[in-house]
Amino acid sequence: MRVSKSIYLFFLPGLLLYAIFFVYPTISALFYSFTDWDGLSSSFQFVGIANYERAFTGDTIFRKTIGNNLKFMLVVVVFQTLVALAFAMIVLKNTKTTIFLRALYFFPTILSSVSVAFIWSFIYDPSLGILNQVLELVGLGFLTQNWLGNANIAIYSLAVTQIWFHAGQMLIIFVAGLQAIPDELYEVAKIEGANKWQTFRRVTWPLLAPSATIVVAYTTIQSFKAFDLVFAMTGGGPNNSTQIVATYIFDIAFRSYQFGYASAISVIFMIIIAIITFLQFKALRSDRISY
Amino acid sequence: MKKFAYLSSGVLASSLLLAGCAGDSPSDTGNEGAEDSTQISFIHWRGEDKAVLDDIIAQFEDENPDISVEMTIYPSEQYQATGQRLLQDGSTGDVFTSFPGAQFEAIASAGLFEDLSGEDFVSNFDQELISVGQKDGTQLALPYQLVFNMPVYNKGMFEELGLEVPKSWSGFQEMADTLLENGITPIAFPGADIGPNQFMNSMMMNNAPDEDVFEKLQNGEESLTNEWWVKTLEDFQLLEQKGYIQADALGTSQDSAMAMVANEEAAMLATGSYHMSALLDLNPDLQLDLMAPITVEESEAIYEGINTATFMLAVNSQSEKKEQAKEFITFLSQPEIASQYANETGQHLTVNDVEYESEVLQNTAYWIDERKTRFQPRFLITNAQIEAAVLSSIENVLGGADPMTAAEEAQQLVEENRE
Repeated sequence: MRVSKSIYLFFLPGLLLYAIFFVYPTISALFYSFTDWDGLSSSFQFVGIANYERAFTGDTIFRKTIGNNLKFMLVVVVFQTLVALAFAMIVLKNTKTTIFLRALYFFPTILSSVSVAFIWSFIYDPSLGILNQVLELVGLGFLTQNWLGNANIAIYSLAVTQIWFHAGQMLIIFVAGLQAIPDELYEVAKIEGANKWQTFRRVTWPLLAPSATIVVAYTTIQSFKAFDLVFAMTGGGPNNSTQIVATYIFDIAFRSYQFGYASAISVIFMIIIAIITFLQFKALRSDRISY
Repeated sequence: MKKFAYLSSGVLASSLLLAGCAGDSPSDTGNEGAEDSTQISFIHWRGEDKAVLDDIIAQFEDENPDISVEMTIYPSEQYQATGQRLLQDGSTGDVFTSFPGAQFEAIASAGLFEDLSGEDFVSNFDQELISVGQKDGTQLALPYQLVFNMPVYNKGMFEELGLEVPKSWSGFQEMADTLLENGITPIAFPGADIGPNQFMNSMMMNNAPDEDVFEKLQNGEESLTNEWWVKTLEDFQLLEQKGYIQADALGTSQDSAMAMVANEEAAMLATGSYHMSALLDLNPDLQLDLMAPITVEESEAIYEGINTATFMLAVNSQSEKKEQAKEFITFLSQPEIASQYANETGQHLTVNDVEYESEVLQNTAYWIDERKTRFQPRFLITNAQIEAAVLSSIENVLGGADPMTAAEEAQQLVEENRE
């Protein structure tokens, strides 16, 4: 079938928006990363690779934020994927109860991140918070913690909030993936005498790989960019223990007025996310699925 | 078909472009109700002052029918990120406000302050208190509010327990022990948000009486590992270890800390005078006053408290409506208008001849003239990354670190960020 060249014009609006809102800012960031622009002045100096040099060799906090981000990402990617998959399998069939449960699990996703931050800050409050009170009530008082104030656990407390916030979204992707697996394959597995684990391992999981790839990649990117929750709940504290790259970029650009340096960190951050996402796609090998 | 495709994609692209540009249209900021008037934009971060400022703006518009004011309020964090950038093209923030310290320095460096030196309304302000808005001999901004960034304490509770305001560090500890014996937490410390950046000021004011100490830190003449800061960190450690501040203080928000004081579970709130009216809203029976911990012996104490002249009014140098903007500042600096603002917001002001009517403002007005206070040291740190390093050392100590180790780690960050 011959495709008219005019069809390419339909790409134009999308391409234009993409160019304005993604390509241009990216190129701008790259440009400013070689300058000392403060974000306010009309003039700036080119500083070569000084900003990159500073990020790699002279900035302890930046290195700490990368570590915090990796911790946060690992916890969120692993547990959000597992939680979403487990719940997806529970609510897979289309009954009134499961449809209600899907809506219920999806509910946090529609809340604004500031609302979620407010709710969870209250839950985690060491004196008034419901979490410590419930733990006391059920005899688990020894587990009570200063959830956001203890530098050793604050990043994981934030990760739990992030999982609660976004697992419902991933659940929908998994439900769609699971429902696309033909029933015949399960029937064959049953006839062959496969138990539940073998059925999951040999039928469900391989055929779910495309959905899992999307979930893992999306969760990774989402957890790297979890600016709003961190900013609203801890502001990066205590003692930078929850400072992630996104909040650090904000600090450098808008509190320290070092836009050039913040741009350099943004470029490095973009490259790190791209590499991790690429490796995940390779590792999950979603292109090898066949019925 | 081909023609249709060209036409439709062209129309779609043009509409999207026009939609994208719509925000730049003057009609977006125009005042629909007053076509002949000049509209000025007033941007700031004080959401809690909206009602009184709305009323003041209405009075201003009645008195100046040819000028209207569009007020935009940003959350203080967002104000730093968004508000200032809007100043650059002059279309927003004809009148704007600035924090002292790092923000003031950055806006001044960018040349966005109009020089207000010599304007008539400058003389309406207390000349000593507005010096923080000066740079290189020019008056760039006029601080409007005068706040005391030191603990608010329950004066009634102190009287009931026979406690007096301590004048030395040993006296402070005796007072705190008495409160503990009576089942009261001496200090409610909101460590999850503003606690460290507020309480550090009064905790260090006598440990480092040199007002240039942070300037020296920034240029390498001072170090956080020197006695003045290590002693301050040791004092914080003592507060934490002896239970003078509540357990899990680093996880406590200012709302929770305020609730502790309002419920009389704690005797002091480690924030500042700006929380007094909110505390009285929570518990109108409280009798409040201000008290800073004196961390040295009585004979060595130089300062009794901390003041900050803030909410600095300024005119955008990029504005095309500078004269109208100055008219608005003139109006705000009239004693009767300033008095209305002061009494309805519960703030002391830098404007001369303000009449404080509310009991709490009257009771604490003696801090303006009769007490030896110093300008908030934190605002003299003009490098935000160095400020963050200083604050992180306090959090580090309250999290269990040794004061010297915390000071060394913070000093390393200072050295990395020194310009």
